[in-house]
Amino acid sequence: MKLKFNQLVGALALSIFFFSCENSEPEQPLGAYEQGILIMNEGNFGTNDGEVYHLDPSTLTLKPNVFETENLRPFAGLLEDMVTVNGTLYLVANTGKVEIVDAGTFKSLGAVSGGLDQPRSLEVVGSKLFISDYGPYDASYNTPDSYVAVVDGLNGGMVTKKIEVSNKPEDLIAFGKYIFVAGSEEGKVEIIDADKEEVIKVLEVDGRPAQFFEIDGKVWLYSTGNDEVYFQSFHMDLTKATTNSLPVANATGRIAFGNDNLYYLITSTGWPEYQDGVSRVSVLGSELDLDWITGSGFYGIGYDKARNELYLANSNGFQGNGTVTVYDADGTEKRDFEVGRGPSGFLFY
Amino acid sequence: MILLLWVVSFFGSSPMVQDTVVLAEVEVYAPKIERFAQGQKIQVWDKKELENYEGRALADLLKERSPVFVRQYGAGMLASPSFRGTSAGNTALFWNGLPINSPSLGQSDLSILPIQAIDQVSLQFGNAGALFGNEAIGGSLHLQNQLQFSKGFHASLSQQFGSFGAFKTGIQGSFSNEIFSSSTKVYREFAKNNFPYQDLGQIGTPEVKEDHAQFKQIGFVQDFGWNINSNSQLKAAFWLNKSNREIQPVMGSNTNDLQEDQSFRAVLDYYRFGSGSVWNLKTGLVKDQLDFNGSLSRTDQYFLATDYDQTFSEKLAIKGGIRFTQMQADLSSYSTSDQRIEIYQSTKYKPSKDITLSLNLRELVYQDQFAPFAPSIGLDWGLWNNESSSLLLQSSFGRGFKVPTLNDRFWEPGGNPNLLPEESWSGEIGFLWKVNGDSQWSNQLTYYRMSVDNWIIWLPQGSVWIPENIKHVSNQGIEYQGETSGKLGSLDWGIDWSYTWSRAVTTSGIGETDPAIGKQLPYTPQHQANAKIRVSRDGISTYLSTFFVGERSVTADNPRMMPSYQLFNFGLAYDQLKWRKLAFPVRFQINNLFNTDYQVLYLRAMPGRSFQFNLSIRI
Repeated sequence: MKLKFNQLVGALALSIFFFSCENSEPEQPLGAYEQGILIMNEGNFGTNDGEVYHLDPSTLTLKPNVFETENLRPFAGLLEDMVTVNGTLYLVANTGKVEIVDAGTFKSLGAVSGGLDQPRSLEVVGSKLFISDYGPYDASYNTPDSYVAVVDGLNGGMVTKKIEVSNKPEDLIAFGKYIFVAGSEEGKVEIIDADKEEVIKVLEVDGRPAQFFEIDGKVWLYSTGNDEVYFQSFHMDLTKATTNSLPVANATGRIAFGNDNLYYLITSTGWPEYQDGVSRVSVLGSELDLDWITGSGFYGIGYDKARNELYLANSNGFQGNGTVTVYDADGTEKRDFEVGRGPSGFLFY
Repeated sequence: MILLLWVVSFFGSSPMVQDTVVLAEVEVYAPKIERFAQGQKIQVWDKKELENYEGRALADLLKERSPVFVRQYGAGMLASPSFRGTSAGNTALFWNGLPINSPSLGQSDLSILPIQAIDQVSLQFGNAGALFGNEAIGGSLHLQNQLQFSKGFHASLSQQFGSFGAFKTGIQGSFSNEIFSSSTKVYREFAKNNFPYQDLGQIGTPEVKEDHAQFKQIGFVQDFGWNINSNSQLKAAFWLNKSNREIQPVMGSNTNDLQEDQSFRAVLDYYRFGSGSVWNLKTGLVKDQLDFNGSLSRTDQYFLATDYDQTFSEKLAIKGGIRFTQMQADLSSYSTSDQRIEIYQSTKYKPSKDITLSLNLRELVYQDQFAPFAPSIGLDWGLWNNESSSLLLQSSFGRGFKVPTLNDRFWEPGGNPNLLPEESWSGEIGFLWKVNGDSQWSNQLTYYRMSVDNWIIWLPQGSVWIPENIKHVSNQGIEYQGETSGKLGSLDWGIDWSYTWSRAVTTSGIGETDPAIGKQLPYTPQHQANAKIRVSRDGISTYLSTFFVGERSVTADNPRMMPSYQLFNFGLAYDQLKWRKLAFPVRFQINNLFNTDYQVLYLRAMPGRSFQFNLSIRI
């Protein structure tokens, strides 16, 4: 779901491990699911029918329900995020678990099943998993006990620690031994030291933090306000650098990163006007097309940089399966196809 | 006593037509729901049959013994009816003539309607908007308490133990003389529901024990009947029911939701019997309170109704009435009130010995809106009727409606006050063939068609969900029921069976490209069947029953189908254990005899084989 520059760190760690074992394995060919596009289908609340679809963009072959096909059991959760690190794919279910599969074969490797409430995203540092979690709802549907859970072991296991953070943490990104936490409800970025397993710094930021990304080795944060969106960058010394605000109203927090530093943001006026759209913006350039695409039911977005195609998912009201529409770089519709229930994101290999 | 005989003589008609008011002399009067329901099918379970369901819920009776598909979210969890391919809110539910579906949800949870509290259940098939009003689109359910005069004193204590920590107690006491009758029931039901199941949501799909489905329920039912004088009668009933449930999570989730439901229902009826006439004045109230994880929803309904039923001759009877309803709702997201007035009339005309026609009309007004005017016509035609056999043709045609629920109209945010009522047109034709003799046979075959328009669904607009009149649904189906019974020496035996085919298809949906169009509605099996064989001799009785539910889809576009399942139940009872004036009936039952693993709804675990043992003392 995100750009993982910690993959490098992980790969380095792994190569050190291999060298130290003096038993370097031959490079494995990429597995069937490690090429092409993974489509994340969140599933319906109360039904737990989240699933992953796989698309081969060269042949347009679509494989439904990959998890159930390869593991002979249903995914049984609401699929909130997919994170791939070193050939392992972490499927974060906001119904209280993380399923861990081999990214190539989709065969189950493990899980984090106990101790989580409403996990949202995951990061890997060294041999530890860090999982952002809303925590349980209280009687008025607030989440005052949000945390980042720590699991020791790349293939899951028990939660060993819960690091308290501000309400409703969303995305995570690893930066060396630090983890940035998008504190969505209170407009905070908390920085966790992965060794100490504690918050070492809290930064106040504009808007509701939604997603981290990386440009030229620098961490950036995308956050949303009511009438604006914000792109905030951070220095290597964990302080705030620049903040760019753009006049994009009603952004949902879903973003896709295209070529030429163009970003695609889903917007939704919500009830009662109810008009969805995709704005195309640039932080470094001057692009600002607020109504690049308009419509309704937009739920997930992704960009295939290799083919210069935008993937836009429609939930079809969660009444059944969703639809993905593919646009070219000019915003012209190229094709559409049916996917799983509540398609909410993509992973492009 | 005289007045009741009278009622029989005036209200009785051809035995062929099955609407005779077969009123035992001592029974407290209650209008028969079939009186103006010509052309329609009604299935009745009386007290004797309900005994097998003691300690269980209305949901269990319906799913095992009727064509109603019960969408059950786990053991003792929310259970809502789907009848003739309609939605949960399209089955009306009455308790002693009061509509008791929740006005905010527009439906009832059949798991918290314990059979212990009820003496008779009637299931009326199909559209009955004209006869029974709001929400009777797929059909209607009628729960009755029955009271008798001149029966003296009776009491019973019954205790049930069962698998998965079930412990259920019921106490009943009744007293009646010629003037006055009273019956009291108290019950307490507890089930740990710690049944084992294969957890498909966990790696390795281990067998685990359900640890969050505990069910607790207590209740109190009081009935009074009073013969004020030779031509008037007063009847009152009160029902307090309170249940506390741990909500069983869907597999793959680890929620710890708690729900408490509390209902208080009361009804007061005054009947005045004249020359072939019955005048009824009815008042009642239904108070529901639902606490979900500390979030409280309360609704109150007050009813005032009156109707007059006059039998003019053997050929003609007319009933007319009016009902006022005042509703008050206080939920976490909104507070509102609603007023409803409905007027209705029913006419029964019998042009010849073999033919009975009925015409029912109803108009309901809520706040400033008119619900669709609902007419219906019905026909019962005895094609032949002789000593050895009879054949009855039944046909009806009519309109039904459902006023949008208070949540549909007022939920904040999203409630849509401009919603139109759902409405339906339907028609059916059926035959009932009976053969008399040493062994009796009856076969009933019905074909129906229905069209439901302005079907309400909730759709997301951004993060807010809004109800809209979106769907159009076409239903058709075939219902076949048969039974035979007889004696073999001193052995009494009976077999019944039924099969239902139900096709309910979305004909218009969200836009023209909605993939649901042309497909079966979600969680609506096309095929259902059930059967039961029973044998009894010298106070020992036993039965074996089974029910089958066919494949059904999880969503409207049908990509994922749930497998069919068939379950078997077994029971054994002995009721001749006696000591002086005391009787000690004992009963033993096995539910899900073959320990079948099944889910009614996707990823909702259901219990395997369970045993229950019932011991009673009666005086």
